[in-house]
Amino acid sequence: MSTATQAMTLKEQLLEKFETELPSLFGEAALRRSAAQQFEATGFPTRKWEDYKYINPDAVLKKGFGTRIAAFRDITAEDVAELSPVKDAYVFVIINGHFVPDLSFSGELPDGLTVESIADAVVSDPAAKAHYAELADSAADPFIAINTALADSGLFMHIAQDSVIERPVHFLHIATNEVSAFLQPRHLVVAETNAQAILIETFESIGPVRSFTNVLAEVVVADNAKLDHYRLQTENEAGHLLSTVQAHVSANALYNTYTFTTGGAFVRNNLNVEIAGEHAEAHLYGLYLPSGNSVVDNHTLVDHQVPNCMSNELYKGVMYDHSQAVFNGKIYVQRDAQKTNAFQNNKNILLSDDASINTKPQLEIYADDVKCSHGTSTGRMDEEALFYLRTRGIGEDNARKLLVNAFAEEVVNAVPHEELRNYIDTLIARRMGTV
Amino acid sequence: MAAEQNPILEEHIASDYKYGFVSDIDTEFAPLGLNEDIVRFISDKKNEPEWMLEYRLKAYRYWLTLEEPKHWAHLDYPKIDFQAISYYAAPKKKATVGSLDEVDPELLKTFEKLGISLEEQKRLVGVESKIAVDAVIDSVSVKTTFKEVLAEKGIIFCSFSEAVQDHPELVRQYMGSVVPYTDNYYAALNSAVFSDGSFCYIPKGVRCPMELSTYFRINSAGTGQFERTLIIADEGAYVSYLEGCTAPQRDENQLHAAVVEIIAQRDGEVKYSTVQNWYPGDKEGKGGIYNFVTKRGICIGANSKISWTQVETGSAITWKYPSVILKGDNSVGEFYSVAVTNNMQQADTGTKMIHLGRNTRSTIISKGISAGFSNNSYRGLVRIAKGAKNARNFSQCDSLLMGDKCGAHTFPYIEINDKTGIVEHEATTSKIGEDQIFYCNQRGIDTEKAIGLIVNGYCREVLNQLPMEFAVEAQKLLSVSLEGSVG
Repeated sequence: MSTATQAMTLKEQLLEKFETELPSLFGEAALRRSAAQQFEATGFPTRKWEDYKYINPDAVLKKGFGTRIAAFRDITAEDVAELSPVKDAYVFVIINGHFVPDLSFSGELPDGLTVESIADAVVSDPAAKAHYAELADSAADPFIAINTALADSGLFMHIAQDSVIERPVHFLHIATNEVSAFLQPRHLVVAETNAQAILIETFESIGPVRSFTNVLAEVVVADNAKLDHYRLQTENEAGHLLSTVQAHVSANALYNTYTFTTGGAFVRNNLNVEIAGEHAEAHLYGLYLPSGNSVVDNHTLVDHQVPNCMSNELYKGVMYDHSQAVFNGKIYVQRDAQKTNAFQNNKNILLSDDASINTKPQLEIYADDVKCSHGTSTGRMDEEALFYLRTRGIGEDNARKLLVNAFAEEVVNAVPHEELRNYIDTLIARRMGTV
Repeated sequence: MAAEQNPILEEHIASDYKYGFVSDIDTEFAPLGLNEDIVRFISDKKNEPEWMLEYRLKAYRYWLTLEEPKHWAHLDYPKIDFQAISYYAAPKKKATVGSLDEVDPELLKTFEKLGISLEEQKRLVGVESKIAVDAVIDSVSVKTTFKEVLAEKGIIFCSFSEAVQDHPELVRQYMGSVVPYTDNYYAALNSAVFSDGSFCYIPKGVRCPMELSTYFRINSAGTGQFERTLIIADEGAYVSYLEGCTAPQRDENQLHAAVVEIIAQRDGEVKYSTVQNWYPGDKEGKGGIYNFVTKRGICIGANSKISWTQVETGSAITWKYPSVILKGDNSVGEFYSVAVTNNMQQADTGTKMIHLGRNTRSTIISKGISAGFSNNSYRGLVRIAKGAKNARNFSQCDSLLMGDKCGAHTFPYIEINDKTGIVEHEATTSKIGEDQIFYCNQRGIDTEKAIGLIVNGYCREVLNQLPMEFAVEAQKLLSVSLEGSVG
């Protein structure tokens, strides 16, 4: 890398990369061009943006991330096996933002399930062609814009009509860099009418070199389909992650998301769910346990566009050390969305004097015949509960762990997949230092 | 439930603004527009000392560097032309404090129509239950009643201009200490051009024997009202303060940008109640007052308390966040609000509770009611600073929607930087349940009365906080605004 490129800001580097690589990138050039222009106009968000009020991606990105990608170390099949939370999942590996077929599931996928490189699918698959960049609006967020402009790899997952896929599909993201890099994988998930599937996305980082992953997934849940979508974010202190999910839920469909964050120096989740068909249902669960100096920011938007739908959201957080957490949830009920039931709950425990939480649960409601509520509470450990446990001979340390565990369990118990639930329990135990 | 079944809703949506009369008072104006000369003109008119003018000019110059804030509030209105407003309008016949006889009779009629006859006030001297009133019309404080009675206790209650002349040391000490002119766009504007307002000082250990009240009215066309209120409760003092607002009907929008500052010293307590009924504009949203107000109190001393109660039914646009800075240990902040929007009204209102001291407590109860095509937002901040041990907050924000063309929104900001803090926030949005109405119907209460009952109950928590004299007015306002307007 020449000194000239080092002096360039990330924005300039990305735009330069765009100009040189555009001809070789998949999909429509016009779409990428307009996204790049959108990004060029705004740049990365700063603290002055209402949506980025409490964290500062611009400052994080100034730590220095480049566009050159080189692996810190080779990832082996053993690594992949070790990083798989569920034994019988179909695993697809994304290293440094790039899909690696050699390490991925190579057997035969069941009827109705397709998982392939997005670059190929956008050219050959009509469903991918139809839905690609349909939901993610470049004008909405600069991270969407720059991903749309420059995405060069990722996965397309398709569940055909009436297909029920029992075994989960696992997207394993590993960031392992020789030089600090800005990574941009891009996924598209389409569950057709009456289809059912489970998708697990995990985010890992290996090695001491910083990475920033700007991952974007568009999720289409067609009529009467059901999708369980998990995100397990367990990066190390060098990992920075911005994960955007843009979901569209049609009539009678059910979309469940579970977001668990136990690691990473910086994690921002933008989860936007459009409820676009009658009697559709969405459940959003989240648990974040930041420690050290890490920052975790969960932004969710549930957009009720049609009548007779239901959404439910539960996010919980336990903050250790100097960590900082943000929860920003919005329920948006449009004029036509009568008979909406929408609930949101956010609960937090601060375990350290130096930790902080900023929470902003919002309701924006334009229909009158609705039942909407949100609640949030933040507090310390219940001293009486602690005392109770100690009078029964449990040491203070263990008593605290027990109580934190009980607090977190409400979210963990919402996970229907048993093997995954147990895995998440071990993640939490590891975080609390009980293992 | 369809609207045609609901005559009172129709009637209310169609109802005219009751206070929409214009008083024919000879008024003196400043020329339209704003520049340093206007600031000097206002200061000169009021015969202000040099330091006051300096303060105004500093604020004006700072204001010039700012941009009109638009991006964050849930409000939609055309850009305000600050050069098309007259920044000073005063009744020409100079009202002196000496006797009521010198006050323009038209003006007295205005207040009579408003239901706060100063004549009556005077006759009531010596009667137990009474309220001292400082009436501000357009920009100038017209008459302060009961001044002598209060003076016996050492209480200073007068217009802001008088305070600048008679008690400059107090004004200089406290003005801008809670809301500095650098605070925000409208606070800067107000600091530059404020014309009058009320000033109140309760000395150590004095419990103010009566409710103090300010009545604001914008009368002249094309003017803005920029009043400034400063209330100081010294150690162990207590005062309950009321504020009422009305304006005549006009097609154009009028600007109201006030600043209210409250200081509570150790063991001091201030209770501030507002019934805001500025002209809300007509059914098409034409005209009405833009109400951009900065209200903030600081509990400086230990064990002090500031309580805001507001009933907001007027204004085309309301942008108002009465706040409390809880600096003293064990201090208490309260915010009780009923905000009603109808037709094309927009309100973005709430509070800020900033916990700095130890064992500080705050309570927020907000009830929003939206009807017609209006939008009603609660926006509130609860911040617990690092080191604010054992801070406690409870917030409850409920919204009622009446009809399917309006919006109700809740935007709480909760920032917690100390692990010993406990914060709870709840918000609900709903309409009146048909089962509730059915229950009342069953017991022989007709639908209209049932709705009145339920709405009254819905707001009770807040209305109960109002002083007796005001509660009556607020209930009357709500009965016009609310009863039966549920669909």
